[in-house]
Amino acid sequence: MTTDPMAGGQGIPWQRIRRAGIVGIPPRSVIAALNQHGAEIHDLDEPLVMADLETATPFLPTVYCAILRTAVVNALHCQLDAIFIDTGAGKCDAARYTAQILRQRLAIPLFPTENTDRERLGNPISTSGLPLLEKLQRITAGVKMAGPPVDSPPFVAPTASFWGVPPRDFAILELFPATTHVHGWTRCMENKTPADHELEMVTDPTVPTVFFAQSFCAKTALARHLAKRHPHGLYLDLDAHTTASAKAKVQAFLELSGARP
Amino acid sequence: MKLGDFGTSYTKLLDLTAGDGTPKILPTKDLPPDLVVDWATGHNGKRCARHYINELIALARGGETLIAKPDFLLLDCGSRDIKFIRYADGRLKDMGWNAECGASMGFTIELLERYYNLDRTRMTVPLQTFSVTCGVLGMSDIFDAVIAGVPVAEAVASFVRGIAVNAHRFAGEPELIYLSGGLCDHPVFVGSFPCEVVPLGRSVLLSGLAATAARPDPQTS
Repeated sequence: MTTDPMAGGQGIPWQRIRRAGIVGIPPRSVIAALNQHGAEIHDLDEPLVMADLETATPFLPTVYCAILRTAVVNALHCQLDAIFIDTGAGKCDAARYTAQILRQRLAIPLFPTENTDRERLGNPISTSGLPLLEKLQRITAGVKMAGPPVDSPPFVAPTASFWGVPPRDFAILELFPATTHVHGWTRCMENKTPADHELEMVTDPTVPTVFFAQSFCAKTALARHLAKRHPHGLYLDLDAHTTASAKAKVQAFLELSGARP
Repeated sequence: MKLGDFGTSYTKLLDLTAGDGTPKILPTKDLPPDLVVDWATGHNGKRCARHYINELIALARGGETLIAKPDFLLLDCGSRDIKFIRYADGRLKDMGWNAECGASMGFTIELLERYYNLDRTRMTVPLQTFSVTCGVLGMSDIFDAVIAGVPVAEAVASFVRGIAVNAHRFAGEPELIYLSGGLCDHPVFVGSFPCEVVPLGRSVLLSGLAATAARPDPQTS
C-alpha cells in the first residue's frame, strides 16, 4: 500500500475525530487510520441531507460539478469533526479548488490528500451479476473500508457495460441489465486505485457501452472520446438529476443494441 | 390494433385493423379523457396505452422500416424537442435527444405563425439566420428585427432557419437527413437545412410502433 506523506498521520488528531467526511477516495492509510480509531465515515460525494443543492451556491458556481456541490452541501449540514478530501490525480482539479474554498470557510479542519495507491484489489463486484444499482451501491460503500469487500459475488458474462464515475443520481442505473459490467473510474474505486488511469481506460469492445460523466466534469472529454472510438458506445452526461430524455436514450440504446434487461 | 403517437401539441392515431391506413391527427389538448390505444409513444402516451415505448425506440424502428438502408440519419423535430438516431452498417451508431436547451422550438414556430397570422406555405427561405438557442430566447431576435423594420414574415423565417441550422448541427452535420415530424410540411424549415433533406412526414413514429408491435418479443419501457 502506498501512502502519501500527509496521510502518515503527523499532525492529524485522530483521537478527536469521531465523525469524518471524505470527498473522493483518500488513501487507504487514511481510511485505515479512521477505521482503527473508530471514526464514523461519511461519504460526502453522495446526497446525505435534504438541503437544497443551491445552498452550495455561495461557495461554488451553479454551473459546476453536481458531485462537488453535493459534497459542499453535506459539509455544511453534517456535524463533522474533520474532512479528508482527495485532490490528486485520483480526483480532479475542481476538488482541489473546492478544498481550498472549504478550508477557508469551514470551522473544522480539512485535510487534502493525494491518493497514489497502486495495489490492485480486484473487481469482483464490477464483473458480477448483481443489479447495476447494487453494484454501485456496494462499490461506493466500499470507500469507507481500507480492505476489499468480505464476499466476492460470482462473475457473469457481460451483455453491456457502464463506464464512468458513480452518477450523482443513481436512478439511471436501474435501466441496465444485471449482466452489465462496470468500467472506468468506478472500477478504479472498487480496485482501491483511483489514480490508475490505465485501468480507467479499459473498455470492453464486445458489448454495448454507456460512457457516462457528470456534466461540467473534465471527464466528459474522456467519456466522449472513448464513446466515439468504441464500436458500440453511447456518450451520456447528467447533472444533478436523471432527466427523462437521458432515461429514454439509455433505454433506446440498450433495447436497440440487444442488451436489454 | 390501435396505435398512438401522443405528442406535446398533436396526437397521431392509427387503427391498423380499420380505415384506409391514414393517421388521424388531433390536438393533444382535445383528446377524449378515456382514450386508450394498444401501443403508444410520446410525452403523453404512457397514461393512454396498454404498451408503451419511448420516442427514440419508435423513431429508430420507424426508420428501419421506412428507410431500409444500412446507413442513415433520421431527425425528428417535434413541438417540444428534437431527437435523432444514426445507423451505420445496419446498427445503431449514435442518438441524441435535445429536450432541455434548444427545446420548444416547434411549438414556438406555431405560436408565432398564429400570432402574426402567417401562412407558412407562402413564406420563403430568408438570407439571414438568427442564432437560436431555444424557442423562448430566439423570440427576442424576432422582436428586435421587427422593431428595426424587417417584415414580420421575414423575421419569423429567419428564426425558423436558425432552428433548422441548429437541428443540423445537433444531428452531427450530416450530408443527408431523413426528416420526421410536423415540420416536414414547413417549406422554410425544410429548405433551410444546409444539406439534402428527405421529409418522411408525421407518421414515422407510428410506423415504429407498428414494427415494434409486430415483433415476436416486443419490449416496452
